[in-house]
Amino acid sequence: MPRDKRAVRKPNDTRKSIRQLLSLLADYKLRVFATFICAVLSTLFSVVGPLLIGRATTMIFDGAASIGSNSGAFDFVTFYWLLALAVVLYVVSSAFSYLQSWLLTGISTSISYRLRRDLIEKVNMLSMAQMDFNKRGDILSRITNDVDSLQSGITSTFVQLVTSVITIVGVSMMMLSINVTLTVITVVLVPLSFAIIAFVVRRSQKYYKSQLVYKGSVNSVIEESFTGHDIIRAYNQEDEVFESFREDNDRWYSHEWKSQFYSALMGPITTFVSNISYVVIAVVGAYMVLLRAMAVGDILAFFQYIENLTQPIRMITRSMNLVQTALAAVERIFEFLDIEVEMDESTLRFDGLQNSISFEDVGFSYPNGDEIIRNLSFTVNKGDKVAIVGHTGAGKSTIVKLLMRFYDVSSGRITFDGVDINEYDKNSIRSSIAMVLQDSWLFSDTIRENIRYGNLDADDDDIRRASRIAHADNFIMQLPDGYDTVLNEDTDNISIGQKQLLTIARTVLSDKNMLILDEATSSVDTRTEKLIQDAMDRLMEDKTSFIIAHRLSTIKTADRILVLDEGKLIESGTHDELMALDGYYKSLYDRFDAGGHR
Amino acid sequence: MGIRNADFNVIYSVGLSMVGMVAISTVATVVVAYFSSIVSSRYARDLREVVFKRILGFSNHELNRFSRASLITRSTNDINQIQNVMGMLFRTLLFAPIIALGGIIKVLEIGSDLSWIIVLAFVSVSVLLVFVIRNVLPAFRRTQIIVDYINRVSREILLGVPVIKAFVRQDYENQRFDRFNVEYRDVNLRVYRILFLMIPAMTLIMNLMIVLILYFGLFDVLDGRLLTGDVIAFVQYSTQIVTSFIMIGSLTIMLPRVLISARRVEEVLSTEGSIIGGVHASCEGDAILEFRNVSYRYPNALRDTLHDVTFSLCPGRVTAIIGGTGSGKSTILSLIPRLQDVTSGVILLDGRNIRDYDLNYLRSKTAIVPQDAVLFSGTVADNLRRGKSDASDDELLGALKVADACDFVGSLDMDVSQGGANFSGGQKQRLSIARAVVGGHDFYLFDDCFSALDVATESLVKSNLVDVTSNASVLMVSQRVSSIMDADEIIVLDDGRIVDKGTHDELLGRCSIYGEIFSSQMGSMGGRDA
Repeated sequence: MPRDKRAVRKPNDTRKSIRQLLSLLADYKLRVFATFICAVLSTLFSVVGPLLIGRATTMIFDGAASIGSNSGAFDFVTFYWLLALAVVLYVVSSAFSYLQSWLLTGISTSISYRLRRDLIEKVNMLSMAQMDFNKRGDILSRITNDVDSLQSGITSTFVQLVTSVITIVGVSMMMLSINVTLTVITVVLVPLSFAIIAFVVRRSQKYYKSQLVYKGSVNSVIEESFTGHDIIRAYNQEDEVFESFREDNDRWYSHEWKSQFYSALMGPITTFVSNISYVVIAVVGAYMVLLRAMAVGDILAFFQYIENLTQPIRMITRSMNLVQTALAAVERIFEFLDIEVEMDESTLRFDGLQNSISFEDVGFSYPNGDEIIRNLSFTVNKGDKVAIVGHTGAGKSTIVKLLMRFYDVSSGRITFDGVDINEYDKNSIRSSIAMVLQDSWLFSDTIRENIRYGNLDADDDDIRRASRIAHADNFIMQLPDGYDTVLNEDTDNISIGQKQLLTIARTVLSDKNMLILDEATSSVDTRTEKLIQDAMDRLMEDKTSFIIAHRLSTIKTADRILVLDEGKLIESGTHDELMALDGYYKSLYDRFDAGGHR
Repeated sequence: MGIRNADFNVIYSVGLSMVGMVAISTVATVVVAYFSSIVSSRYARDLREVVFKRILGFSNHELNRFSRASLITRSTNDINQIQNVMGMLFRTLLFAPIIALGGIIKVLEIGSDLSWIIVLAFVSVSVLLVFVIRNVLPAFRRTQIIVDYINRVSREILLGVPVIKAFVRQDYENQRFDRFNVEYRDVNLRVYRILFLMIPAMTLIMNLMIVLILYFGLFDVLDGRLLTGDVIAFVQYSTQIVTSFIMIGSLTIMLPRVLISARRVEEVLSTEGSIIGGVHASCEGDAILEFRNVSYRYPNALRDTLHDVTFSLCPGRVTAIIGGTGSGKSTILSLIPRLQDVTSGVILLDGRNIRDYDLNYLRSKTAIVPQDAVLFSGTVADNLRRGKSDASDDELLGALKVADACDFVGSLDMDVSQGGANFSGGQKQRLSIARAVVGGHDFYLFDDCFSALDVATESLVKSNLVDVTSNASVLMVSQRVSSIMDADEIIVLDDGRIVDKGTHDELLGRCSIYGEIFSSQMGSMGGRDA
């Protein structure tokens, strides 16, 4: 049996994947069992068929021989019985064969449905830090490609492998019962054809793998070129890009056709082996018939059995690749499903801020060691409007992530009303904070549903009201379908700024106790931004809010401005206090000022 | 066929000739496999090449019509589909009619009256195929659509992790996904349950055919019209004939699917890039660019995005455009290197319509820096050389310096991952500014490309740019007054129309929209500076 090198080197992995695959099937024990029964019955019945056909042929042969000799009438009754029995066997066999596929598709589609569901639920369960470890494209590929290849692996190979083995055994036994010599001749050819195929598979594996790599690079050149199309055209780079594409494309081709060739060889090889057996059976069989050692019908039966034997061999060789892919898929799927979810044992519900939030000597580093926040301490009172300023990479957004408990502090602690936030249930914290991020996230559904996301109980009037506050109502009403406009895949039917307005409307609708705006209006023009801000100010009157913005003009009215640099709090106070301090903030502000008035 | 009456010698010679046939046919099929692999792979390679080249020539108009995502699928998956079926076509479909024909000739040679059984089998197989195709096709189409949904929703969920967590909408998302997941399962179940009918049903048809042949063959043999060997041969040949029907049949099931792919590729190939260059590859004047009554409307849009826009760019001058979200600022920039063409009006370069200039020439004169910086995987140097292919390392380093990018770019060989994911937003913007600077151009088009830079960096980069662009025309788009207030001319754009033009001070005095934008950004500071 062909085995690829990896499987030989790491049998544990393969064994583990097989175990995982079996564990998936375990929930369908009864149906899997029924499927096997059907497969076995179908095979058995179909294996007996040719024997009956062979008998019937022999009867014809003998009948013809006896015409001249008048040695008695043809035994029509037995002949009809044989044929009728064959018809029944074939019908029953086909019926069981279909029943088996019917059951199997039920199992495989149900398994892949559950895996997709589990994978998505896992995505929603993992913490941000855990998600950071996995590339999005990779997870996506597990949800789609891997589950699909597992499904086709189960449907088109799993049981086929079993039936193939049953067929080979059954057919060999039937052949044995007819004629030992011919059986030996035929069966010797089976390992031979496996051996040849194994040889070819080993040669092709190399090209198969390398062409996958080159395919990947061609695909990424294509993706990148179409994404950066504007730049390529604007800088006259069409020829250069095309040349580099052609190189990759050629390289892919030179490996790809070879892998195609080797896999195309399988057919001729198995056919060759079966044809050789055919010839050998014909010649040896004819001898035996002449020697009266065998009936003519048995040769016909053997011809059919050779066909029956070649089919499963071809099937097994063809499905070996699929099996490998399916096992690799199972491995990848479980790799993700087996990530341990960080259990949130804190059950304390957070019901909104009563007094104050404080950061006590907070430090935060990413697992790779990058230290983002150091020794950060400050206190914010309920109802305060707090602005956070600093250069890119100063740690502004990290503060937000810590507040939302997307990440947990590495040292120190954050408290809400004196209670460490780690003691609160994560979801209860998030439920009381509204957050708007710079990258507006919308999904493909109507604008109405996207806004309703903020509060699933909101009715159409609430949605409209929220949109007005966010100054989104105006542009929404100008769209041909208004609130029923479906945002398309890349949500490119509305502008970036308009997307931000929708996310703001969504947040307005959610009506929470605390508010975080992380560069929420960066792509909105300043006039609209001002209008939104006025509305927000009204909304935020008695709410605690955090605002990150690089337009300093937007945060001057804050009760408190925190100035960060390299993860440290270097200044804090109101705008006037900070200006009076004549420090970092003032220099930022003055540079902004100077930039404008030079 | 001479089993009954012949002697051992006949068996020998027939056996030998059979071995010969097997050898020849095996060699022949290997040769076919060889050529079919080369031909189908090469066909796919060439098709990809043609399609890729065609798409590179598309303008924004065609790109938006197809959508980029769809163009990617068309040049990858769809072509792969075509290739797969083509290979199979060579390997099986080509053989099938020959095998069938050979079988039919042999059957006719035997000359029995049993041929109707083969016809009957053929008809049954055809009926079966029609039934399966009719039931499976609509479901197949539905599957394609659902797969798209599954991909889309998964992608959305993966992209929206922070928002989903912030709104505690995990269950909502699980349910949203589940709707499509359930439908995917059901549709798949339907498709496969119908498809899997084929194999048992066809096997049954074949087997029943054999029984029929034996049943009716018996009478022919007993009547002395046929030899037993002929009946056996008849069974063999008719099996071959019907097997080839089945082969052709199973391919016809794949055909509709591949036809969809072929049509999708064909659509791309039959679409011409709508922007074609002229012949002029030089200009005589001082590189003055003039917009004269330019309007632009997106295909299928109800209103103009730009309406009756007139202004000009001169060397050594900085022109700025300010306006709200969606006022048409970026559209103006894209019209200059002809990424899209004006709907009405005309853009003139030194008095000649830009459509008359060679496209490469026109574009070599302009450098555009888009709002969202696009980087390509490779090295920093690769990316910068997009601006000028033969630029020296010194030129590249100089450009990095102008864009204040030296501090985070370790060396020119530093890797850039796909989409520039290893750089922050501000760093990407600086790299794309550096790319524009490499090579030197006559027109610099900056599309709000300082938005991710902090104030200090922005002013540093801008003062560096002044030296580089001193002899060129600069067109700068921004939402921030502070970014553009020192421009020689500021164009105030509102809803696609030019409201006013002038210097900062002039506009402050007379343009109410400009005044509003200014005060919204400057707040109390405006008063202090006045």
